[in-house]
Amino acid sequence: MITRRDGLKGMTAAALSTALWPSASRANPYTRFKGTTLVVNFPAHPHYDAVKKVLPQFTAETGIKVELDELQYMRMHDKQLLEMSKPGGGDYDLIAYVVFWKSEYANKGLIEELGPLFQKEGLALPDYDFSDLIPGYVENIGLVGGPKGYLAGPGAKLYGVPFGAETSVLGYRKDIFEKHGLKVPENYSELETLLTKIPELEKGMGALSSRGQTGAMVTHAYALHLNPLGSRFFDSNWQPTFNNPRGVQAATLLKKIIDTGPEGGASFGFDDMKNAFLQGRSAMFLDSIAVAGEADDPAKSKIAGKVGWAVHPYGVRRSSQSGGFGIAIPKNAANKEAAFLLMQWLTSKKADQAIAAAGGSPSRMSTYRDADLQARYPQYKVFAEALLYADPDWRPIINEWNELAGSVIGVALGDIVTGQKSPQAALDDIVPRVKAIMERGGYYASNGSR
Amino acid sequence: MQLSDGFEGKLMPAGATAGAAVPTPLRGTAKYLPLRKALNRAAPYVFIAPAAIITTLALAYPMLQSVWLSFRDWSLGTPLGQSRFVGLANYEWLLHDPNFWASAAVTLTFAFAVVVVEVLLGVMLAILLDRELRFVSLFRTIFILPMMVAPIVVGLVWRYMYNEQFGTFAHLLKALGFAPVPWLSSPKLALISVIIADVWQWTPFIFILSLAALQSLPASALEAARIDGATHWQMVWHIKVPLMMPVIAVAALLRLIDAFKVLEVIYILTEGGPGLSTEIMSLHIYKTAFVSQQLGQAAALSNMLLLIVLALTVIFAALTAVRQRREKLAAARR
Repeated sequence: MITRRDGLKGMTAAALSTALWPSASRANPYTRFKGTTLVVNFPAHPHYDAVKKVLPQFTAETGIKVELDELQYMRMHDKQLLEMSKPGGGDYDLIAYVVFWKSEYANKGLIEELGPLFQKEGLALPDYDFSDLIPGYVENIGLVGGPKGYLAGPGAKLYGVPFGAETSVLGYRKDIFEKHGLKVPENYSELETLLTKIPELEKGMGALSSRGQTGAMVTHAYALHLNPLGSRFFDSNWQPTFNNPRGVQAATLLKKIIDTGPEGGASFGFDDMKNAFLQGRSAMFLDSIAVAGEADDPAKSKIAGKVGWAVHPYGVRRSSQSGGFGIAIPKNAANKEAAFLLMQWLTSKKADQAIAAAGGSPSRMSTYRDADLQARYPQYKVFAEALLYADPDWRPIINEWNELAGSVIGVALGDIVTGQKSPQAALDDIVPRVKAIMERGGYYASNGSR
Repeated sequence: MQLSDGFEGKLMPAGATAGAAVPTPLRGTAKYLPLRKALNRAAPYVFIAPAAIITTLALAYPMLQSVWLSFRDWSLGTPLGQSRFVGLANYEWLLHDPNFWASAAVTLTFAFAVVVVEVLLGVMLAILLDRELRFVSLFRTIFILPMMVAPIVVGLVWRYMYNEQFGTFAHLLKALGFAPVPWLSSPKLALISVIIADVWQWTPFIFILSLAALQSLPASALEAARIDGATHWQMVWHIKVPLMMPVIAVAALLRLIDAFKVLEVIYILTEGGPGLSTEIMSLHIYKTAFVSQQLGQAAALSNMLLLIVLALTVIFAALTAVRQRREKLAAARR
């Protein structure tokens, strides 16, 4: 039912939107789509919780309604594939995707290439400032078709815009570290010493909260250490390298992290890992910056105000995670142009700051440099530095990654962290299966490049 | 065949053999008999035809599709027309896949464990509650509640109870001074934890069926036993349990088939982990289809699961038939 008050609200909103729109002379691109309803598929995730708070503003400003289909993020993949491969048109106008789905979606022709849309007059917002988007994020989240299929370079095309992208940082309990005179670890050997030290100093507290659940989760935790410790999943010819001495070292360390971490670590997904830290069950956290917003929210965290942040410890090189989410427009979307407007609005300077203020992760350098936000979030300085080390080749972003991480590498790592198999044996055992999957994908056919 | 015989049998006087004698009510209309008889014979088929056609379509189409798909290599999100024919490659892969054998072992362990425990507990509870007690109907209702809870909810509830940091059991154990138990994160315990959750949910199924069987037992047999001076336990062992057997057997079979297909609770509780320790076949199929996106391989796996369940059912039916024939023979001899 529309009441008089709603009508007034609508009018105020309309007045506001014209006021906010800088060039009154130019046609407002949103007008054409007033009354349209866009269906978006977003994950249940700290960044998107902040987005939900800002979304009503979009509707108020533009008259475009947004219907939100929210899913646990690992569950989005099958739903999106099914929707986007419907020949007659799917339900979604805009989707959020995890970085490692980008190649698959683009290669299967399921999402729109954005280059042409950004050049379309009357649709591309003039004050968008694409170059302000964090370059590492754009490369990692958005580009497909370049070197190795997923890096920046010749052949790369833009398919998505970073939104809820992230890198890894070390979170630590300032109070615990001060109490025992501990030094914030700058490298992996310092980190390893703390793993055994903390549970001895603080009875009942785990050292570092980590993901450990068999499958994609434990593979993620492994990648966090594999890269800084100097190995990769594959070499440049797609031969497995995760079982080399450095890979084994990373797996051994991961087992130690789970053993000295909060109880039940071997079954932790992202949420369990996060909650263990926020509920004060561990002294350290080494994962996505997306958790920073919640860590200082007393409603969600018992450790609000007690958390310090540092860049990901140095192994034999700097390499922090590059990942998180981007947004893309399905090829079979019903309202592509309106969806493109929503995409730009969400990642505009104004919305990026509003979302950051609500606890989300910025996609723009200008947001990290914003004085007001820096005063509010002192960690922004650390995060801006951490972003410099975000490694675009942190994991292979190929069609086969879901299968490799979920059913092969993640299972071996599950056996390692629960002590079923030794790291070397477990990793060696899966090499033939990994190679068979890569062979099937055609990676060894033409000189290893694809 | 059976249907038509049954139908005709009703029209016939007791003792008449099918098709031999003319039914009494129809005497005198002998002229129309062949047509009438034909119509009578056809009637049940006509009535049953719509349901039969729908069932065949709904059952046969997906099954044939799944068989067809199992000979192809199809990745989710690409047009089906682009899929490749690969012959028996998917089945060959499956037989050489250690994960398949691991999940088959988990499935067998899980299915037999839950069925045995559920049958024992369910029958015991039924015998216990088959009497006139105060509040007995309240107890019965409470006991069948778990069965009515949606599987996803069961999974979540148990997941929270098992949580090693904040869960109910963790608090209980801590209050009693015991060390925390890694319910879901230890590969040795995870399967047991999953079995406990399933037993909690499905024992009531055996319980209500056993209770119904108990309450429909012939009073004469029980009375005769009582008059002969049988004790309570003797009556349970020698009269009630043997007479309930057919019902228990069917209930156990239904549970067994169900246990092979269980997915939701395990999906929520452990997602198959740690390692592959709780990766039951249906979850393995799900992961092959939607994580690895090998729909052909997933179809091959589903067909294998179907064959296993089918084989079990046939073996079970054969055993029941043998037992029944033996009982009949024994009864005739007496």
